[in-house]
Amino acid sequence: MPDFRDPGHLPNLRPERQPPHPSWLPRQRRGTTPQMIGRYPDYDVLEAAGSWDEATRRVVLGRLGRPGPLRFFSLEEEPALRAFCDTVLAQDGEPRVPVAEFVDGKLADGRLDGYQYADMPDDRDTWRLVLRGLDEVARSRYGKDGFAAAEPATREAIVGQLASGQLAGGVWDKLNASRAWSVCMRAVLAGFYSHPWAWNEIGFGGPAYPRGFMRLGPLSTTEPFETHGATSEDPGRVAEGGQP
Amino acid sequence: MTGDLLRGLLKGALGPARNDSRYLLDVHSRQLPGEGTMRRYADSDEVDLVIVGAGAGGSVLAQRLARHGWRIVMLEAGPFWHPDDDWVSDEAGSHHLYWTQKRIIGGADPIELGKNNSGRGVGGSMIHYAGYCPRFHPSDLRTATLDGVGADWPVSYAELRPHYERVERELPVAGQDWPWGYPHRYPFSPHPVSGAAARIWEGALKLGIGMRAGPVGIVNGTFGNRPHCIYRGYCLQGCKVNAKASPYVTHLPDALAHGVEIRADCMAARVELDEATGKADGVVYFDEIGGAERRQRARFVALAGYSIETPRLLLNSVSRRFPRGLCNNEDQVGRYIMVQGASQTAGRFPDELRMYKAPPPEVSSEQFYETDPARGFARGFSIQTVAPLPIAWAEHVLADGHWGRALREYMRDYNHWTTVGVLNELLPQPGNRITIAGEADPYGIPVARMDYSLCDNDKANVEYSTRLITDILHAAGAQDVLTIRRYAHLVGGARMGSSPDDSVIDASQRAWAVPNLFLADGSVCPTQGSANPALTIMALASRLAERMASGAAMDDDPAARAGTAGGGRRRR
Repeated sequence: MPDFRDPGHLPNLRPERQPPHPSWLPRQRRGTTPQMIGRYPDYDVLEAAGSWDEATRRVVLGRLGRPGPLRFFSLEEEPALRAFCDTVLAQDGEPRVPVAEFVDGKLADGRLDGYQYADMPDDRDTWRLVLRGLDEVARSRYGKDGFAAAEPATREAIVGQLASGQLAGGVWDKLNASRAWSVCMRAVLAGFYSHPWAWNEIGFGGPAYPRGFMRLGPLSTTEPFETHGATSEDPGRVAEGGQP
Repeated sequence: MTGDLLRGLLKGALGPARNDSRYLLDVHSRQLPGEGTMRRYADSDEVDLVIVGAGAGGSVLAQRLARHGWRIVMLEAGPFWHPDDDWVSDEAGSHHLYWTQKRIIGGADPIELGKNNSGRGVGGSMIHYAGYCPRFHPSDLRTATLDGVGADWPVSYAELRPHYERVERELPVAGQDWPWGYPHRYPFSPHPVSGAAARIWEGALKLGIGMRAGPVGIVNGTFGNRPHCIYRGYCLQGCKVNAKASPYVTHLPDALAHGVEIRADCMAARVELDEATGKADGVVYFDEIGGAERRQRARFVALAGYSIETPRLLLNSVSRRFPRGLCNNEDQVGRYIMVQGASQTAGRFPDELRMYKAPPPEVSSEQFYETDPARGFARGFSIQTVAPLPIAWAEHVLADGHWGRALREYMRDYNHWTTVGVLNELLPQPGNRITIAGEADPYGIPVARMDYSLCDNDKANVEYSTRLITDILHAAGAQDVLTIRRYAHLVGGARMGSSPDDSVIDASQRAWAVPNLFLADGSVCPTQGSANPALTIMALASRLAERMASGAAMDDDPAARAGTAGGGRRRR
């Protein structure tokens, strides 16, 4: 039986620093999470949206609208973009947080982050080069018809090399891979973890103005509208000592 | 006993004198009162003072001098905020609070800018700083003498102390009685400590490390029309409550009430020099991209654009007298810029801690602030609890090397984690500097390049302190730890000193080379200690204003200009 007090599921404490397959997690019972998995199956941050201030509600609920179409990336770049975003966030099924559209909107609007490494191109060019470089590696080293056409294990292997700065040849001789990785991941992480579905998955309380938080600990850290981490096994069977 | 009782009763009851900002604010709205009725000047009016930058330094200078009747125009590159509409309780939605115009970063250890350390808009970076408001220690002002590193300030702690006390009353700062540096009290009692921060405190105690709640510039109680903090955790996204101190609520309301004009969305391009007299006679700026140049005339010019924009503005102000940039004939502008090492380590605990509640800044320690020869490096670091929201937490997890399924797993575990960080005093080096890059911003103004490289002392400091905070988490019983190496804050870049050979401005923050030009921001600091810089920037601006009002800052006596470390008063 999964026990959240125990840290056994954390990658650093496991062989090869990899977590267990997410099938051990409960299915979301209330609201939506990415791939409908999470640790707080009965928690939906959006149920508190009525208590948020108007400006915040407009920004956060705006992320639930129909995403796209892409404005910055071309049709040719789209498959690699989507495959990259899916792989680095392990989004292997619906419902997906539309991270590709978030990244595309950020770059199309020129909402950049305020700094550019002296040995790197503009972030917009970096993204294009990275996608091209991923396709190149998939073709030249793995014989695939592009990064998006590769099976998940191959994509993960390529991304693993990108993350550790090991890619070389073609685009990668001109681009500092570890800096490119940080440029891309900055945008990807902001896209995913700004979405209320991801907040449901991790049990984050979300915006709290003007209401505020009252239960800061140590006695309790859970507001009345928040729920504790939970699992989905049958309590009766667990009590009898059987497997869930 | 009686004294403690009296002080306890008075906690939170004594307000600052000569600053009515807290009463001018509206209880029911977060907009800066007085914007609609703000006094306006024409470009052709010769005002007494034009200030570039409406952040920590510029705002305090304006508020003080307006009270002395000075006619002042502030030029601010960013927008005039209307927090009810412009600010949100959301990380990604707060992107517009940061200076996101392009800057080039280089050197062996390039420093990430943007949301990490650079603000834009009325109120400056303090709109999105965490809220920690520690003072510098007296030793910070004499590191060359005491430790043989860095530089001595031309200003003594005794000169700065009354301004620290005054600004602490204005913010107001909440915290326990402070045992480190120059021991002092705070005007407001400490905030309650969250369960997440308490874990770190427990770990520190087990290692014999003392920590204290505070010091934070966050109202604990009510303060005029500013309400109590509601512990929603979004300090770094702009305080919609008006509980966290920033010039927007602490100094600009009073400044507007005393006739200051804040000209927002106005990007300064260069300081104009009267070639005949050698004095600055105004600032050239743009009020829109592609617009015509405008020029505000003024008797005095003060730059408060912070450690990157102030040097950039000086370097872009080229004239016959100053072909390499204003005040840069000695090649000192842009040098000795500093950031602080800011590694953070997170620890995992069996219970749900939910670190997103309560302000991110809660509990800190300055026990390791000064040099300890046993550690093998000069100067030291401070320890502070922090509390990343989900996007910042994802960056933390990524920095420990996790992506894909592993990242998602750590993210789902968010509520079980608590985070502690350090601030390392990295040493000032001449090669760490701002220069002008080979490209221009949308206004056509050449952008800044920032080069940064750590020295061996810096690296040893970062290593030692990162290990120590990890030990704290293990002592507290953490089941797993994740570490991110990063940097925070900016100071230096146009430092004050006792001689034009190795500094840009004198002990009164007046340019050595231009008699009516002052610098009033963090760029003036010769060293940085391991304290967050906001309070010191404000205190320095407060001192500068006092000296400008009295005329002391315009004193041409060489000994006065050299300050405490110069002339006959040098102590060796």
